[in-house]
Amino acid sequence: MAENTRDEQRSYVLTIILFIAAATGICWLFRFLRFPETNIVVVYILSVLLTARFTRGYAYGIAATVIATCMFNYFFTEPYFTLSVNDPTYFVTFGIMTVTSIITSALTTKVKQNALEAREKEAEASALYQLTSHLSDAADISDIAAITVKTISDILNCRAACLCFDENGQPEQSFIQQKNSNEQLRRNVDDKKALLRRMENLRTAYDVGAEFYDWPIYGRETMLGILRIPNEAAEQMSDAQLRLLRSMLESAALAMDSFRSAQERIKSKEEIAQERYRSNLLRAISHDLRTPLSGIMGTSEMLMGMTDPKDSRYALAEGIYKDADWLHSLVENILGLTRLQDSRLVLNKQMEAVEEVIGVAVMAIGKRAPEREIMVHIPDTVMLVPMDAKLIDQVLVNLLDNAIKHTPPAGEISITVRENIEEGVAVFTVADRGTGIASVDISHIFQMFYTTHGKEADSQRGVGLGLAICESIIKAHVGTISAKNRKNGGAEFTFTLPLEAENHD
Amino acid sequence: MTSKNETILVVEDDTQIRNFICYALKQEGFPYTTASTAQNALSILVSNQIDLMLLDLGLPDFDGMEVIKKVREWSEMPIIVVSARDQDKEKAAALDSGADDYLTKPFSATELMARIRVALRHLYKIGVTKAQTVLSVGGLSIDLEKRIVSLDGAQLHVTPLEYHLLTLFLKNPGKVLTTQYILKEIYGVGYGTDTQALRALMAGLRRKIEPTPAKPRYILTEIGVGYRLVDE
Repeated sequence: MAENTRDEQRSYVLTIILFIAAATGICWLFRFLRFPETNIVVVYILSVLLTARFTRGYAYGIAATVIATCMFNYFFTEPYFTLSVNDPTYFVTFGIMTVTSIITSALTTKVKQNALEAREKEAEASALYQLTSHLSDAADISDIAAITVKTISDILNCRAACLCFDENGQPEQSFIQQKNSNEQLRRNVDDKKALLRRMENLRTAYDVGAEFYDWPIYGRETMLGILRIPNEAAEQMSDAQLRLLRSMLESAALAMDSFRSAQERIKSKEEIAQERYRSNLLRAISHDLRTPLSGIMGTSEMLMGMTDPKDSRYALAEGIYKDADWLHSLVENILGLTRLQDSRLVLNKQMEAVEEVIGVAVMAIGKRAPEREIMVHIPDTVMLVPMDAKLIDQVLVNLLDNAIKHTPPAGEISITVRENIEEGVAVFTVADRGTGIASVDISHIFQMFYTTHGKEADSQRGVGLGLAICESIIKAHVGTISAKNRKNGGAEFTFTLPLEAENHD
Repeated sequence: MTSKNETILVVEDDTQIRNFICYALKQEGFPYTTASTAQNALSILVSNQIDLMLLDLGLPDFDGMEVIKKVREWSEMPIIVVSARDQDKEKAAALDSGADDYLTKPFSATELMARIRVALRHLYKIGVTKAQTVLSVGGLSIDLEKRIVSLDGAQLHVTPLEYHLLTLFLKNPGKVLTTQYILKEIYGVGYGTDTQALRALMAGLRRKIEPTPAKPRYILTEIGVGYRLVDE
């Protein structure tokens, strides 16, 4: 660049010398032909004008003016070949000549500069237009980045690079960098975290690194990427180029943003379709599995009723009934869990009497295991707790079912409810005198599909969904659920429900 | 096997369940007819003498609810709705539009027969109940003329609202009364859907008639639907 300037200067000086020398030559001819002196002055002014036309900046014009005036003085005023004059009126001529020359050269320079600026602006506009028209054809975010990198590299004549960020505002694995005018390559990011930190703490428009200037590309909500320009190219950028770069980054950000939102629209459409598919599937399961299972259960139970319990056929019918019952509750549990895990599940919460919910659960268990007596301890006063009664009933049934499975027939099973005023919760406890919970299982017991390590695992089939459902239901009620072993043997499950309905409208 | 006179219409699209129900009915000596669609059911209903209908809510052609509404335009026959476990809203709506009872799948033959017996007994009580001045279930009785409630022979003091509630149940023994229906009967039409007052009222009444409110003998809770007075 410095080399260039010196070459330019030399050529401009030569221009001045050439034009002034030519003017002097012509004037010499005029004097020889005895033309009036006015012609000589006009020729010198013309030479200054031409100099201004072919050089850049006011300085050369002014220099040419001074030299032309001196030449006129030296060669064409008496006494010749000296800088002194006999006729003092020549000073007026010199003055007018100087002023005219300066104005002429200034005007010329200005016209030239305007033309130059107009050309630059046009180039800027066409570059931007090119970029946006290319961006509209981009297939994805990295395509947008690649197009931007190519355009900027062409304009700044450097090897620019771009790093895109993903939907979560995290940098991608590699930069897209321009290799030469037609090729791009991928360069891995060394330290994503440091880069991200630098960009987040940015107070200026760009970040100056050891080798690169990093320009953040801001979208509507998050940072979409980083544009990297080598230091030497960045330092030489003119104001116009800087302006152009900013506009280009804005165009790229706009393109990336609109691409993202288009993608989100597609995604949400897909999600809706998937949701519809899922609910159709669930409906199919509920109808196509539950209905025949109900038929099998009813029929096998009837077969049991028609056979003598000592007959081996009774046991066969009973086997069918038990398996169908197990399958049926599995289907119910899976359906229940899918419904619960649907984030849009709305609880049908109402003020319910604790005794009613417990009464229903105890009765349901009584049907399944008539030989069991379940102890109920509830406060004498009416206790109303906001809950989805159907779901809490399911929790109680699951917990009681679990207790029955793990407790020998003589073992005591109880439900206790008390009010914890300080914490504003109702505390439900289902306790048994069964085998208790193995210590390895205690922390996993509410996990989905977790089956215990106890010896019951073989004789009593379980899919480990019951307690997971309980947890989901209690969590949906903003309550807590926990399990522990009792001091004198047996397990104890406790869950809480808030006494006050939360106010959200 | 005693033969009975009441013809039962079984409306169920699943063959297995239909067979099972029909077999149970045959065992008990009930004559029966079957239909697998709502259209089919309606055409049988207009051309045959049917005394009781077992109606599946999930029919292939149109909603079982429509069948109930249509039948109720001309007939008071008992309708027992058969539904899946998670169809509480449909159950309550079916009961409110005129169904007498519901059964949740899967059910046993014993359960089915018990419900049919209750519904039929109820059918014959219509007209009789209106003339009766003393209603009773088990040890619980109510003298409508003297406005006296007694439990196991001893007089019981109840509030006017509790009396009203008890009368409502004793007039409909064995029948599920939906929460909406009870609210309307006790508190009037414009009361709305707030169940809290009813829950408290019920709890108070249970403390007077049940030794253990959490294990009721008389008024059973049907979660998500309403209440039912046992019928023995």
